Amino acid sequence: MRILLIFVLVVVSASLVGQPNCNAYKYSGDKLKYKACKAVVKVKGHYQFSRAFQEALDEALAIDSTFAYAYRIKSTAYLKSGDFITWKKLMDKAVKYDPEGELFYRASCRYQFFRDYAGAIEDIELLDSLIDYNIGYSQNGDYHLNIIKALSYKAIGKPDESLQIFERQLSDSTHSVGIYDYLHLGVLYLEMEKFSLALRALKQQALENDIAENRYYMAMACKALGDKKDYLENIKLAKEKYENGVKMFDPYVEKMDQIFLADIMDAMKIEGF
Amino acid sequence: MKRIAIIAIVLLAGCTRNDQDSKYLRWVGDAEPDPEIDASDFQLCGSEKMVQQYLHFGQGLQYGGEKTALRKRFEEAYRPVETAQSGWIRIRFIVNCQGQAGRFRMIGSDLDYGEQIFDERITDQLLKIAQSLDGWAVLSKGGNPRDYYQYLIFKINNGDLTDILP
Repeated sequence: MRILLIFVLVVVSASLVGQPNCNAYKYSGDKLKYKACKAVVKVKGHYQFSRAFQEALDEALAIDSTFAYAYRIKSTAYLKSGDFITWKKLMDKAVKYDPEGELFYRASCRYQFFRDYAGAIEDIELLDSLIDYNIGYSQNGDYHLNIIKALSYKAIGKPDESLQIFERQLSDSTHSVGIYDYLHLGVLYLEMEKFSLALRALKQQALENDIAENRYYMAMACKALGDKKDYLENIKLAKEKYENGVKMFDPYVEKMDQIFLADIMDAMKIEGF
Repeated sequence: MKRIAIIAIVLLAGCTRNDQDSKYLRWVGDAEPDPEIDASDFQLCGSEKMVQQYLHFGQGLQYGGEKTALRKRFEEAYRPVETAQSGWIRIRFIVNCQGQAGRFRMIGSDLDYGEQIFDERITDQLLKIAQSLDGWAVLSKGGNPRDYYQYLIFKINNGDLTDILP
């Protein structure tokens, strides 16, 4: 799983650099953006944190200061270095010049990197109001933006709103199930003390992507339902999976509902293992 | 040979001048040494240009006892401050090849991501706790331990510490 994610990250990073189709600007008659786009291509081969990369983007923005894409790829190094001030300034400009194309990125990064749940909700709802097609997925592909919205509502203490969004999104026939969707739904049910529903969602997660987290939360649900046998089985499986690296992973940040070995060990201690 | 040497010197001089003229350092987020604020006993193992980012190792944040242990250190030591200030504080630093941390730098913002100087009672506590952390992992590439940049972001709500990232 970790290797796959790193591979996806590398591909996504590379595609961010090679992505703009400059000819699209050329044939639409936007000569300035075409010229700026050609300048952006100069970042190819440079590391996104590097001076050369940043300077190439400054050059592109000097040609066309409304080129949203250049602001976004310029912002990435600031995002990854934790500089929320510069990152937000750059992304605000990207969103200003192309809200329909850039809100998905600002929204998902606010959620993922800064746990800015109110900000993520605001951006997703704004995007939803601007377009009449599917609002799409987060920048890393882990979640549909409606799932991020649901998780953000939970985080700001509105579980009922969160559940409504979850249920609506997961029952949409066009929804592609994400690698952690049912885990988060299960944890939400668990926190709402709907233990049987939690168990059902977590079992669904086991079918989609069986990781330490869903086994840990399944154990918690079983415990609440008084099912000691399944509790023991799941907590042991959680530990086994965790130690084998079969768990939630994000190379940048801790994810919502992620667990650590200490959580499993504490649960085992309580049960006198 | 003489001509090659002259060309090399000219090119090198050109590179140096460009680097100095640029408003950017080697990489975004780099911190130059500052003897006025940096501990004199903190040393890099490699050169400045070889310092990596924690994310280059593809393992996420690496601390002994994982995030649980790191969070516990702050939860136990941080005392909430009576203030209406909220926002984010980032402390960025270098972990050297021996797992020692140094060259700490701090930025802060309000909830609208506008730059904000936090109450010293908040920042002094966070910096002191961050400087006392002793569980940073030694991270290697090709079998060689490397120096790397790490950061911690603290979410502050009315003077209370509510979350730690990444």
